[in-house]
Amino acid sequence: MTRSPKFARGAEFFFPAESERWLVVLRMGMGLQVCLYCLWLRRDWSFFLAGTGSGLLGRQISEALLAMETSLVPTLSWLVRAAAAAGLGERTALLLCWFVLLGAGVCLLGGFFFRAAAVTAWFVHLCVAKSGGFLSYGVDNFITIGLFYLMLAPRPSAPVLGGRRGRNRPPDPHLLGFCRRLLQLHLCFVYFFSGLSKALGSGWWDGSNLWRALIRPPFSFVPPEFLVSWKYFLPLAGISICVIELGYPVMIAMKKSRALWLALVCAMHAGIGLAMGMYLFGLVMIVLNIAAFATRTSKPRADLQPAGQAAAPAL
Amino acid sequence: MPRQRLLLACGALHFLLVFGVSCRDALRLVAGNYTIIRVSPGGWWEKAEALASAALGQEASSSPPYPGAEALQAYTHLAGIECGYGYFAPNVPDSYKLLFELQYPDGHVEYDLSLFESKESTLRHATLLDQIGQMESDAMREILIKLVATSIWREHPEATRVNTILGSLQLPSVSEFEAGKRGSYEFMYAYDFSVNPMPSAPAP
Repeated sequence: MTRSPKFARGAEFFFPAESERWLVVLRMGMGLQVCLYCLWLRRDWSFFLAGTGSGLLGRQISEALLAMETSLVPTLSWLVRAAAAAGLGERTALLLCWFVLLGAGVCLLGGFFFRAAAVTAWFVHLCVAKSGGFLSYGVDNFITIGLFYLMLAPRPSAPVLGGRRGRNRPPDPHLLGFCRRLLQLHLCFVYFFSGLSKALGSGWWDGSNLWRALIRPPFSFVPPEFLVSWKYFLPLAGISICVIELGYPVMIAMKKSRALWLALVCAMHAGIGLAMGMYLFGLVMIVLNIAAFATRTSKPRADLQPAGQAAAPAL
Repeated sequence: MPRQRLLLACGALHFLLVFGVSCRDALRLVAGNYTIIRVSPGGWWEKAEALASAALGQEASSSPPYPGAEALQAYTHLAGIECGYGYFAPNVPDSYKLLFELQYPDGHVEYDLSLFESKESTLRHATLLDQIGQMESDAMREILIKLVATSIWREHPEATRVNTILGSLQLPSVSEFEAGKRGSYEFMYAYDFSVNPMPSAPAP
């Protein structure tokens, strides 16, 4: 059976040969993200996630609302019930979840048990995010997205700490390329729609939304007196954010403008992280962008090719 | 080849969902008149938003709109793509605050703002307050505030009454700030919860 040129071109676009460098960046970045997530929430972990009668809201209300949509999504109550069957109380179960999530984050960071760590981190984080629905914000979605792609990606062969190179069979470079392409396309959707939504609001064109975002508690990390001295810069910054986000799919796709746009987007997220105290959000966006676009698209090394597979695209 | 076709089909479905969810959220903003586009109620935008919601298996009715809709919804949650990406868009909303006034049997009153030490926890608490403040359902808002009030009362078990006040912060514009105006809280709702004091342990 012969393939049409259209399909061949499509396959070349969706299945480029990639080295596993981008996956190592994603793995380590998401590992760091999960570790920081656990450490920064450790004091209020039980308070946020306990059941009705001992926590802030009680996770049952978020879980009940989720169950109205679908009962197929895992929640912390699944894990608490499983722990109860093993004779463990709710508090112990929640503590165990915290340790398991932190452990999975450490494994991802260090490059141990890639698949098990990625699946565990995705599953436990998803349970936490869904059970704490009213306390979840954008960062939880992006952690889920990052861990979802990581979990489905081929297992890398190059551990960073411990382990031995060459013990695992190198992953299929075209499958690595496909997974990376999905992440790249997803980010294009994210920024385009984020930019479009902002551009539809009048406040992003005159800088008032940026002003409001920066002085609004609890994001008010920059003194308003300082911001006032930069008031003429605010409309320009607001418009720039819209342009960076709306233009992302085109500018990041072009080789000539990719580095500039990547730098602009990372600077924007670093700025949001530092000026609004949204460190986790800034970090996860920078990690996803660097994994998707910063590491050079390259032919995988010949010595990392799976047995019997040529380095050239076999499409 | 067959594996590539299968992967492409899965990828296409995945991005169809990402696109659908993003479109639905953008249409919702326009249909709700939150954007610079002025629309009349019940118009094309509203119908398009309803269509997108139905296609994604999210209809107001209790039964799923088509077989497999629940599985599709579950997938969007598992992949983290169940909501769009309009953060701080189209405009930055007000900030909200919950103030708890605790009354004790001896008549004295204490105030609690439910503050957190960790910045990350503070962000999450602010997210909760945003959702309470923007909640359309009065009943749901009351339930959520009651639950938060209960957690406050648990820390002050001697209190017999918890008055809860929800306020929104009116942020000044740049020019108003320069003229000396600062943010001020505007009263939104108040709830009064009477509680029975926790029984004290019997003396040995």
